[in-house]
Amino acid sequence: MAPSRGLTRLIPRPTISNTTTYSRTMSFARRAYSSFAEQLANPANRVQSYISHSRDPFVNLSIEDYILRTSPPDSTVLFLYTNRPCVVIGRNQNPWSEVNLGILQAGTSRGTSAKDTEPPVIGDVDLVRRRSGGGAVFHDEGNLNWSITCPRTEFTRDKHAEMVVRALRKIGIERARVNERHDIVLDQGHEHRPFDPQDTHRTAYTVDEGGPRPLKVSGSAYKLTRGRALHHATTLLASPNLHIIPQYLHSPARKSIQAKGVESISSPVANIGLEVEMFQKRLQEEFSGLYAHQGTSPIMQTVGEQHLEIPEIRKGYNELKTDDWMWSQTPQFNLVFEGPARTIIEINVHHGIIKTLKTKGGSLPDDMLEELQTALVGQKLQNVGDWPQFLQSRIEPWHPDLEVVADRLETLLPVPQCGKP
Amino acid sequence: MAARFSVARAARQLTSSATRRQAPLACQWQKASIQQQRLFTVSAQRTQFVKEKQYTEDHEWIEASADGKTFTLGISEYAAKALGDVVYVELPEVDLEVSSGEAIGAVESVKSASDILSPIGGTVTEVNDALQEKPGNLNKDPEGDSWIVKIAVSGEPEGKLMTKEEYTAFTEDA
Repeated sequence: MAPSRGLTRLIPRPTISNTTTYSRTMSFARRAYSSFAEQLANPANRVQSYISHSRDPFVNLSIEDYILRTSPPDSTVLFLYTNRPCVVIGRNQNPWSEVNLGILQAGTSRGTSAKDTEPPVIGDVDLVRRRSGGGAVFHDEGNLNWSITCPRTEFTRDKHAEMVVRALRKIGIERARVNERHDIVLDQGHEHRPFDPQDTHRTAYTVDEGGPRPLKVSGSAYKLTRGRALHHATTLLASPNLHIIPQYLHSPARKSIQAKGVESISSPVANIGLEVEMFQKRLQEEFSGLYAHQGTSPIMQTVGEQHLEIPEIRKGYNELKTDDWMWSQTPQFNLVFEGPARTIIEINVHHGIIKTLKTKGGSLPDDMLEELQTALVGQKLQNVGDWPQFLQSRIEPWHPDLEVVADRLETLLPVPQCGKP
Repeated sequence: MAARFSVARAARQLTSSATRRQAPLACQWQKASIQQQRLFTVSAQRTQFVKEKQYTEDHEWIEASADGKTFTLGISEYAAKALGDVVYVELPEVDLEVSSGEAIGAVESVKSASDILSPIGGTVTEVNDALQEKPGNLNKDPEGDSWIVKIAVSGEPEGKLMTKEEYTAFTEDA
């Protein structure tokens, strides 16, 4: 997870005995990066298709953003990738109310949250804020992400979800369709009814009202910039973690936070039950077929961590990993909780900084309120670290009555050092 | 939100501080006044030109204040309609310096984040805070009350700008 991760893999350590091999590898590698950049930007390549062999969500999202920014204006680019376990929130979401931050890091026991909830057994889970809109999702190796970058004039929210549904139906997933939220669901109706096989928005098992709820298997989000549109989506093929996903996406702070920005809409999910590699091939074929009229067969290439050598990809990667992007990008919000002496404490946070601290009711002495305000107003959340330690170092002498404030903040507003050693 | 931009700016400053040294203050003033003069002279034959709303190919509009020093920027009615229900408007912080062509914010609607690109360089002097409370207003009056930012200009607009008529024709072609 350290930023150097890509580089250490990329540059083989030279030893005295194999300097020749080393320099040959290096020049080969350099050719590979420049060839990706050149190929991507070449206006002649109107249809392009890439698969990433990296499992690092930060690498994959940065390559994807680079594709969005540098592919030719009238080109269409497919990009497929799979991430190691991570929670990915939308650009304008609040990580404290959307994600159970206390269980992201396996084996850590910071504050009270870890005591309340045993961390699930899947190990460390990265937290990522993507550049596109939409809600929070969980990724793992059983989830294939597909993304399409195309001209904004060609963009509709359904076009490529429909393409994926056609690919699914061709391999026998006949319950798949695009729903009104532009997601892909599997209909759960019991009765087979007549339907139009060309209609990607209805299946033989679509139930109009009542009946079993369709299960979501793919969720979409979009990013639009400078005449280009990016549509990316998850596809649950064979995730072993479906049963614990809700634990990650339910925050203990949800009821205590009133946030601007975007709230996730939770849906029941299911696996489609396909192998990732097989489906990647099917999607590439469907994509090639859809854009066959644009000329020759698409450019295909594998990409990965070695492309962090491209300065723009490295820059995007570093940006995604900054605390400012992860925490301070959060839209304005209020946190409300009960403090000492039955006092309701309301904290307003904007741009990741505590702007105000007010109280309602209760009998918190004025001097304690003032000490809290002095310690907290103006504080950037991402620099707090451990709340009890932070408050005790700021308020001297320490009042044991304030311990409840420290505990509540540690539970409701933790800033785990995700991805930091 | 603006954090993103300040990060980007910090990164730029880090990488290019050696190559882009700031001119002494006096020089900067001079430069600014020359540029402003030019802004007027360009439009001298057509006084309407500067004050009239102009549109970009990315569906933003800009309109100059009476003294030509400040531009108001927003998104077009066409864009607001195409985006669908706006649920969040990401505004920059006041005093942010922006170069022309740079994103100064983003609009989120139906799971889409759309960059708002500025066709002019300058300093953000005001943001429309009402959009924080009621982002949906951007759908109602995108070319009036729901402007997005005001920018004190430091140069002339860059890139292709269109009059209302030209822009209408542009969106009809698209």
